[in-house]
Amino acid sequence: MDFELNMKQAVIRRTARKYAEKRLTAAAVEMDRTGTFPLNIAEEMGKLNYFGLEIPTKYQGAGLDPLSYAIVVEEVSRVNSAMGLCIAVHNGVSAAPIYQYGNKDQHQEFLVPMATGIKIGTFCLTEPNAGSDPSSIESTAIRVGDEYILNGNKMFVTNGGISGINLIFAKLQQGKMKGRLTAFIVESDRPGLKKGVSEDLMGNRGNPVCPISFYDCHIPAINRLGKEGEGFKIAIETLRGGRIGIASQALGIAQAAFDLSLKYSRERYQFGKPIASFGAIQNFLADMATDIEAARLLIYRTCNLRGKGMEHLKESAMAKMFASEVAVKTTKIGVQIHGGYGYTKSYTIERLYRDAKICEIYEGSSEIQRIVIANNLIN
Amino acid sequence: MGSKNILICIKQVLDSRTVKFDKEMKSIIRDGMEGIINPLDCVALEAALEIKNKEGANITVITMGPPQSETSLREALAFGADKAILISDPAFQGSDTLATSRVLASAIKKLDVFPDLVLCGMQTTDSETGHVGPQLSEELDLPHVFGVEEIHIENNDFIVKHPSDDGYLETIKGSLPVVLAVTHELCVIRDLPLGSLEAAFTHNNVILWDAKDLGLKEDDIGFQGSATQVLNLYAPSPKRKGELIEGNSEILLEAFMKKLDELSVLDEENENQQ
Repeated sequence: MDFELNMKQAVIRRTARKYAEKRLTAAAVEMDRTGTFPLNIAEEMGKLNYFGLEIPTKYQGAGLDPLSYAIVVEEVSRVNSAMGLCIAVHNGVSAAPIYQYGNKDQHQEFLVPMATGIKIGTFCLTEPNAGSDPSSIESTAIRVGDEYILNGNKMFVTNGGISGINLIFAKLQQGKMKGRLTAFIVESDRPGLKKGVSEDLMGNRGNPVCPISFYDCHIPAINRLGKEGEGFKIAIETLRGGRIGIASQALGIAQAAFDLSLKYSRERYQFGKPIASFGAIQNFLADMATDIEAARLLIYRTCNLRGKGMEHLKESAMAKMFASEVAVKTTKIGVQIHGGYGYTKSYTIERLYRDAKICEIYEGSSEIQRIVIANNLIN
Repeated sequence: MGSKNILICIKQVLDSRTVKFDKEMKSIIRDGMEGIINPLDCVALEAALEIKNKEGANITVITMGPPQSETSLREALAFGADKAILISDPAFQGSDTLATSRVLASAIKKLDVFPDLVLCGMQTTDSETGHVGPQLSEELDLPHVFGVEEIHIENNDFIVKHPSDDGYLETIKGSLPVVLAVTHELCVIRDLPLGSLEAAFTHNNVILWDAKDLGLKEDDIGFQGSATQVLNLYAPSPKRKGELIEGNSEILLEAFMKKLDELSVLDEENENQQ
């Protein structure tokens, strides 16, 4: 087994890192402070293919392999986790299922504006009463002639405030597939679609996470993604790949926390020596680096399986769970290494600690990932 | 006038931000380190791309180096170069700037169409000699401008600006072809779209030439063809030491002068520390 990146992947990492460090560093501070999303930067990133990572080049995407996709999300998140989240969700759980389950017309109509960042995508599964349990979804879809009428409330929609295209999961109200989840592509300008106020988040504050509601929202039947009743399968399979994005986001945050902690511990002198010379700090650094490396290998192996078209449900759950927990652990230790300074907003590690936490919660909490892994082992 | 043929000499260097030094072996650790295009060569490439965007141009990138330099050539293709040539041969090992220029010149002469414009970075971040541009122009018997900050091409003429020896910005006009060694002031390097990499890294469009292809003799290349030799390589270590001296200005000045005297830093013979 080869653990080295190939020539192209190495250049992709360097290209994404260079761009992120140059353009997203200052934006990360501003996004966190003000809770606003920089549309001008997203527009620029759209031109550089960050919104079409895995979308084939014929739809103006970058046509990257899964590992290159993970690398880009990791590098963007290393500098700007809120932006990393934006592209992970857009690419991984919005554009990806439209590509996988969409027909040619849908590809042409939706993938091109998504790949160029003109329309940013969402994945709307979670509701006020349905999070980890998608079967309790209350949103409804009724077929009337050539249309579906949607009603319901979606919560915590990542990219919600800036989205142009939304992937909606709702329960059919009639026919053979009555009560079964069905997926729909809904443009943000459809009458009856209402976006709520963005949440005042703990971390990733620059991402406009908001509720989206549907009041008798009419959409053409051709906007249905996949077959009637296929929604649950689409959601689950999408999350299988989506976990790679969140795992990579978590990895980027963890790497940033480590880089800062290593730098700080070499510069900070106490008792006449850099604190990196003390065993306690060295143990911290060794554990952080080892955890990060393990998380990275889990993610890369999952990408490898995905790239070869092999089953990776268990692996992506492991990667997502482990990387998220590493991000929380690493940023927590990072704050500890930074001492009092780490508890102030003047130091980036403070933001990273807040950014990391959500990784254990969204796109399947760590508890749900453990169920997925265990079920896979037992059955 | 048809579109110009532009040739850019690039070199793969180690990223100076991550470079590590083996103190015992007195060498740079290259294993596992990633090579990047020398930053000033990227400026040369960007300048060529701007000409290509405006009036069309055919851009060829060329490098002499170990096989892994191919990555940098492909990166240049991703940026928008049309053709890439890798000149690689173990026999080139140990070439100094003179031997390197000789190799590059013989490759340029071998091209189907002789370039109108030869661009290179003014210097590389690894050895910082700044020799290759001028030496290359001698080998090619072409005029040459060093430290170019602005380029205009008008029909068969070039008009460029560069700082003169006495600190003024000098405008020079001449006929193509010419060798230009460029500097950072020339232009800002564009961001590479991720989508441009796939084609650049999958197509079989890097041409490989070795010493034989170029008809070079042993005496012209490698150690034998070099006019200079590296005797020693070391990382200078900054030996800074803080010392607090207290007292009024007279006491401070006296202590300070005494210190300078002790350290002999004002002696002219002591210019070379190592």
